[in-house]
Amino acid sequence: MAARPGTPASPKNFKIQPPQPGQPLYGCEHVQRLFNQDQATTNTSIQHYKAILRNILDYSPINAQTAKAAEGPTITTSLTSTYLCLQCPSTLTEDDCVKHGNKKSHRFYVDSRSGALYCQMCDDIVWDPTFEDLRLTKIGTGSFTASRKRKQDDLLAVDPVKDNPQYISTNTTVASCKASGLRGIYNAGATCYQNVVLQSFLHNPVLRNFYLSDGHQSSNCEVPYCLSCAMDDMFQDFYAVENTNGYTAANILSGFWISEKKAFENLVTTKEQDAHEFFQFLAEELHERNGDGKKPETGSEHSCNCIIHQTFYGKLQSTTTCQHCAGVTNQVQSFLDLSLPLENLTQKKGKKSGNAKAPAMTLQECLDEEYIKSDKCEYRCHSCNSMQQARRQTAIKCLPNVLSIQLKRFEFKQGRNERAAKIETPVHFPLQLNMLPYTERARTGDTKENFELARSCTYDLLSVVVHVGEIDTGHYVSYCRVGDQWFAFNDHKVELASKSDVLGAKAYLLFYIVRSLA
Amino acid sequence: MSSDADRTGKAGVIVAPDDASPIDKLAHSVLDDLLYNIVHDLLIKVHRDEKTARANTAAIKIEKMAAEASETSTPDSRPDVRIETDAAIYEDGKVLLKGNPLKTTKDILCPRCHLPRLLCPTDGKGAKKPDPGIIYCKKHPYIEKPGFDIYGQTWVAPGPGRGKKKKDMEKKLDPNDASSPAPGEGTAKDRPPNVLSFPSATCSKCKRCILVTRLNNHMGSCIGNSGRNASRAAAQKISNGGSNGGSQNNDNTPPGSQKGTPLPASRAASPRKRDGDEFDEDADESDPTNPKKKKLKPTTLTKKVILKTKGTPANKKDKVKGNSMLNVEQRADDDDSKDSTVQVAPKKSASKGGGPSPAKKLKLGPTKPQLPIPAPKKVNRDRDVESESSGTLSSPPQ
Repeated sequence: MAARPGTPASPKNFKIQPPQPGQPLYGCEHVQRLFNQDQATTNTSIQHYKAILRNILDYSPINAQTAKAAEGPTITTSLTSTYLCLQCPSTLTEDDCVKHGNKKSHRFYVDSRSGALYCQMCDDIVWDPTFEDLRLTKIGTGSFTASRKRKQDDLLAVDPVKDNPQYISTNTTVASCKASGLRGIYNAGATCYQNVVLQSFLHNPVLRNFYLSDGHQSSNCEVPYCLSCAMDDMFQDFYAVENTNGYTAANILSGFWISEKKAFENLVTTKEQDAHEFFQFLAEELHERNGDGKKPETGSEHSCNCIIHQTFYGKLQSTTTCQHCAGVTNQVQSFLDLSLPLENLTQKKGKKSGNAKAPAMTLQECLDEEYIKSDKCEYRCHSCNSMQQARRQTAIKCLPNVLSIQLKRFEFKQGRNERAAKIETPVHFPLQLNMLPYTERARTGDTKENFELARSCTYDLLSVVVHVGEIDTGHYVSYCRVGDQWFAFNDHKVELASKSDVLGAKAYLLFYIVRSLA
Repeated sequence: MSSDADRTGKAGVIVAPDDASPIDKLAHSVLDDLLYNIVHDLLIKVHRDEKTARANTAAIKIEKMAAEASETSTPDSRPDVRIETDAAIYEDGKVLLKGNPLKTTKDILCPRCHLPRLLCPTDGKGAKKPDPGIIYCKKHPYIEKPGFDIYGQTWVAPGPGRGKKKKDMEKKLDPNDASSPAPGEGTAKDRPPNVLSFPSATCSKCKRCILVTRLNNHMGSCIGNSGRNASRAAAQKISNGGSNGGSQNNDNTPPGSQKGTPLPASRAASPRKRDGDEFDEDADESDPTNPKKKKLKPTTLTKKVILKTKGTPANKKDKVKGNSMLNVEQRADDDDSKDSTVQVAPKKSASKGGGPSPAKKLKLGPTKPQLPIPAPKKVNRDRDVESESSGTLSSPPQ
């Protein structure tokens, strides 16, 4: 309970949320009474609520999960929710809440696992606009003032004038309630590899907000056959019109054909292609249209403020330690996605189990292999001035907002007919991914007790691209999440999907979005 | 919950018997707690969505009543009246809840259009017949039904019998209909109304209408280098390179004449290809009812939705409000000479290639429903566009 200030020493007066049309001012009549007593009560209530949220979110859950009985020295630590009194520093079990309420007339409690406010007089959880805003800001950004620091300054910067609801309403157009962004994309002849990537871009909230807030206005762009303009038009057609039929991505396709990217020359054919290559192509192309115009060189530490870099790019650091003189060399490079080889691990596991058919593995195992374990290599040590044995380890230095992972299912087997083969091993991937163990910070410092850091490394699954069929011919389908609902996209067909459909898919590309911008 | 509490835990897991080992007891208890937490988390999520929606519904209803009672037509002004319903009190421009909205409010109004939300899908799993007397918000629950998509649309099954014969095309396939907004609104005559069919799109280079399934192949030959054009170009490059280097090549054609082959002509010179690609166009030209329809780009009327103004974060999409502004798009037309068949070029290439062009997208402010129109000819076209694709218009600006 150390985090809870004993007295409201701060002279700052807290305000409740101003009234919004179409929304009640308070969560319930009792919260209304609490806020209407006097300014001092409002101040203590809000301060206490903030302290409780900090207690829940920034410290070990043992703190909040441990309740002291109303009478006697009994201390209970439970896995299920306890209730933190809003009006005094007590933490209570569900049963003790009533006793505490009757004794002290304290009627508001905070659920220790979600931070939600429980009103004893309503006997229900109440969603008060003032408290709820604090809770969401704390969970979403790690602090109570949204624009304090952070790499995402551009995404979070709030202009007081432009944040005014009046200003927003006079400067925006409202889409029909029917326009949901859920449409299929017609297959224009072996273009399903493009469709799946486009769908994952369309349902990426960061990109969606960028384009729908006029991040790249096709009406102001002078570049002929600009792919970013084509994206802008596509976002408009998905989120602003009522059409429910498929979308014809003609402008994307022509921009793709006209684009002169040497690296992707062999991608531009009428044949079936690799969705991952198209993803790289689209990302680079959009970066050049929106960013500093420089070519993103692979292997260098290229950073740029364009929307693509803000969304997808992270940084890797590889550390090489000389086995002879123990000298350390660090090299940092930016990455668009993490490519995880499956072949080695498949073989390793296959040998262990002795089965001909490779057993399933998990995404975390693949990540362990790449970003925790080190490997031996030879390198030219500067201090020894000779070739030496060295240990090399790669870890993530900077995580992106949207983490894209490629599972290398298409492996080029040397020797045996020189033919590429598809690895069909199922890889289990989670809905929620903790990337903290793979970061450079986790390796160098003690991160066990830093819950804010852990939260900022938590990712939620956003979309999954699946390849069905053989190595040289097949079909791509994808799953994307909108809110909590999953949808299956198969060219122009859009269907509801269950979580088990998604998690049972043999993923090729995975897109995870960071949960908190902390 | 309490009645079974002796034999089962909070989540209903059977409590280990008294003579079980401590580890057994612990395992039972931990499993029970974890299951309970999962249910708790799910419930809190649903509870939040539902209760917030009901509370907001109560607020929307009472604000509407207050606005009617005060009879002031200015929006956003807070009428100075006091109104009380079962669910809320309106006082001093504030909405105060009365009781628990989960009990007092039964329906859910859309926070944007203030129409009631349809709460069950109209077809498939969990379907219920909607009340025909109520105008619902256009956001419907998604349909879960095998063979149909989330909007209840179905699609032409792949396989034999799908190929269209030329004589059928004339009366059956109207590609403009196929690309028109709602397939449910009586488009094609002999097809079930909710079947998704393949529309056509305009190639941005040659401005021809191509059936979408052939678009990639078409662009390959039209723009890209995978068609027969490409092999010619490659051959030309080789032979030019060869002659420059002074080496002998056994091609008798002088390089000049090879170079002279005009690029677009070579495309038209492929009769088989043309037949395939321009099928729809042929069919359409022979259709006397609408000679012009075909030439219009499928999505001529675009509406802009803007979450926030430029430079501000748009992560508060709930705040999107205000009047819907239509962007009427106008195109610079670079082949005005062919006035009988109006060819609408894709906007990008046309406006960018054609030097100074009239503004492509003009935003209509809420107070200015009309805008100055540059040329009378374009007025006509815009009217055409508007009347033909009026189905794409959403609910009228409020």
